[in-house]
Order: sequence, then structure tokens, then C-alpha cells
Amino acid sequence: MTNPDQKTLNSILDGYPGEPVNLLPMLQAVQTKFRYLPREAIILVAEKLSLPKSRVFAVANFYRALSLTPKGEKVFTVCQGTACHLRGAPVVIGALEKALGLNLGQTSPDGRYGLESVNCLGACALAPVVTVDGVLHGAMTAKKAAKLV
Amino acid sequence: MNEPSQYLGPMIKGTIDGLSITVRPGTVLLNAARTLGIHIPTLCHHEGLPPDGNCRLCVSQVGGRLVASCIYPLTADGFQAQTDNERIRYARSLVIALMLIRAPEAPVVVALAREYGVTEQPRLRRVTADGCLRCGRCVRACLTGGAEAVSLVGRGTARIVTGPFFEPPPDCVGCLSCARMCPTGIIGFTELFDRRQIWGRNFQLVPCPTCGRPWATEEELARLNADRLCPACRRRAMAEAISSCPTEN
Ligand code: SF4
Ligand code: FES
Ligand code: FES
Repeated sequence: MTNPDQKTLNSILDGYPGEPVNLLPMLQAVQTKFRYLPREAIILVAEKLSLPKSRVFAVANFYRALSLTPKGEKVFTVCQGTACHLRGAPVVIGALEKALGLNLGQTSPDGRYGLESVNCLGACALAPVVTVDGVLHGAMTAKKAAKLV
Repeated sequence: MNEPSQYLGPMIKGTIDGLSITVRPGTVLLNAARTLGIHIPTLCHHEGLPPDGNCRLCVSQVGGRLVASCIYPLTADGFQAQTDNERIRYARSLVIALMLIRAPEAPVVVALAREYGVTEQPRLRRVTADGCLRCGRCVRACLTGGAEAVSLVGRGTARIVTGPFFEPPPDCVGCLSCARMCPTGIIGFTELFDRRQIWGRNFQLVPCPTCGRPWATEEELARLNADRLCPACRRRAMAEAISSCPTEN
């Protein structure tokens, strides 16, 4: 994991005007850079936008796309929406858990892999769906999923 | 408070439980009902706080729709509202059944359950009975006071009231407004002579300059910018000031 230093954080956040509408974009920018939201970043964003820390923390905690602990470098996200669930998401999850040696929701200790789930990516026609670092793979089977690793 | 002002235009007429009423457009159903002396049960609502409409206990019916009375603005002439019928009671019972899981011992909830004949429903029992209804009155009280030290964090059943990073809230001034606003009284605090404890924070109480009773924290006094008199001494000072006022005749 990259350690957040004040300079890097400032360089990411300085481009945004200090208005509350920029809360999510700023958190997203930090998330993209560090693969998580360091505590320092949450406090800094709150200061820059003159928002209470409690509110910034609540927002950071709310969205699946944001994370308070470092995410893996390569993140496998299995859709557990209704369509994907019915068409075999549980099997796909099992296969990925085995291939990665991780349980759903975990990140490998070396920080290289992560396994997560979402509820419907809006690509139900391709169910079951897995995304790897944002790239979509449809019509998954246990075999195909294991090959993604 | 709480009346949306974006509605303009002439007064509108309608009925609530068959009684006619004329209101300014935008008047919230709950307030309109109250002027008629009609009682609608509420929980997350409080006159002194911004409305939030999250608990749905105040559910009533306008036309054919179930609405949350505490946030539903009456806007159309000829509205027909009902605050009590079978369908409404059923909806409220559901809300109460959910409250009963979270706070089975809270007197407000027990009283509601009794009134609506609701008993614990085993099929619902899947979350911890931590006494908190997630109504957010504490959060809105804190926000209204200006600190916004705690917030509702997380989603679904995992939602809880907490300080940032699940830690004691650094912005808390120890004013106890959250604890006083909580309908279930679940926010714990202790006060021992000149020490106050809440949300895992420790506060020193400052003595009233007149009677010497420790009564408020330094942090809340700084925020209020007040004269530091405790409420009793402030009342006395006020009364003295008024009585020593020269009268005109
Ligand atoms: S602690 Fe009390 S006031 Fe705060 S959300 Fe829970 S029930 Fe409501
Ligand atoms: S259910 Fe998986 S994409 Fe919709
Ligand atoms: S009192 Fe109206 S929704 Fe809670």
C-alpha cells in the first residue's frame, strides 16, 4: 500500500474548489490513487470543504466504491444481483475463492488481490458477471472464472 | 418551523378525517391535523429539529396513497386525508413491529406496541436489540447545535450512530442534546459532580459564577458564547433586571 503523505494528498485535492458538491469527486480521486481512503484524506477533505468530519466519514463509509481499508491491486468483483445469483454467481464465487485463496470480501495479505461482490451491475443479460479491475466478463462459469486469475 | 416555503398561491381547502380545513399550500399534513386536534403518532419527528421522515410511524393516507404525515406537504385544493383506518393501522403496526426488534424495552415503543396490539414477531428477529431505532434525532440535534459530531454510519441493518472512524467524536462539546432528544433514551452519559462523560469523551464542568454549581462544559459555553450563568441563576438575574426596570406610570 502507498503511504499517504500530505503533499500527494494536497496535489490530488487542490484542483477542486472548496464546495460541498465536490465531496464525492474528491473521495473518488483519493480512492483511485491509493485504492482506499486514508484517515488523513478524510480529515483533509473535511477541512477543505468545511464539512464536519462525521459527515465525510459517513459518506466514505456508505459507498461500495469507496473503501476505508486498502483494496487489492487486482480486484475481482462478482455480481450477486438477482439475475447473476440465479445463473450461478455462487458457483463463480466458490471458484474464485478457491483460485485466489480468499473469502469473499477479503484482500490478500500481500495486497495483490481482492475479492468482492456487488448487487447488479446493470448487465443482467450477460449474467453471471464478474469484473476485474472494472473490465466486465460475462457468462461466467467456474472454469472461466478460475482462468481470469 | 418545518413548513416548506417554496409553495405559493392562495389558501387551499380540504378535509382531514372528514373535518374541513383551510391551509396555506405546503402545510405539512401533521401540522394541519394538529390544528384540528387530531393526533398522529410520531417518532423521528420533533418540532425543534429539521424533519426527516425516516421512521414512517406517522403514516397516513391522502387520496389513495400512504404518506408520511410529518413531511407530506398539502399542495392541492380538495385534498382528502385520513389519519386512521384499517390500512393505516396495519402499516403503523409493521413499523412498530420493526421498532420492537431494536428497542423492545423502550417505554415509547412498548406503549405504541400496546396501543396497536403489536407483539414481537419471530420472523423479523434478525438484528441486535441495541435500543437504537436509527431515527437520527440525536444526529439532527447535534447538527442543529452546530457540532455535527456524530452521524449515522453504514447501511441497512449495519447502520449505527457513531463518531468519525467509529471513535469518540472529537467535535463533541458534551452538551447532551443528543441524549435528551433520543426517544428511547439509549444514549448513555454520566455526570459526577464536575465531570461529564458521553460518547467516550470526558468533560470538565464549569461552575456557575453566581451559585458555584458546576453545570456546563467549557466547550459548549464557548459555542454558546453565553454569560456562564446556570439556568436557575440566569432566570433570577432576568427577573431582577425586569423588576428593576423603571416603569412609565
Ligand atoms: S440513539 Fe436514539 S436518537 Fe439516536 S438514532 Fe438511535 S433511537 Fe434515534
Ligand atoms: S444481476 Fe448481475 S448484472 Fe444484474
Ligand atoms: S414521525 Fe413521520 S416519519 Fe417519523
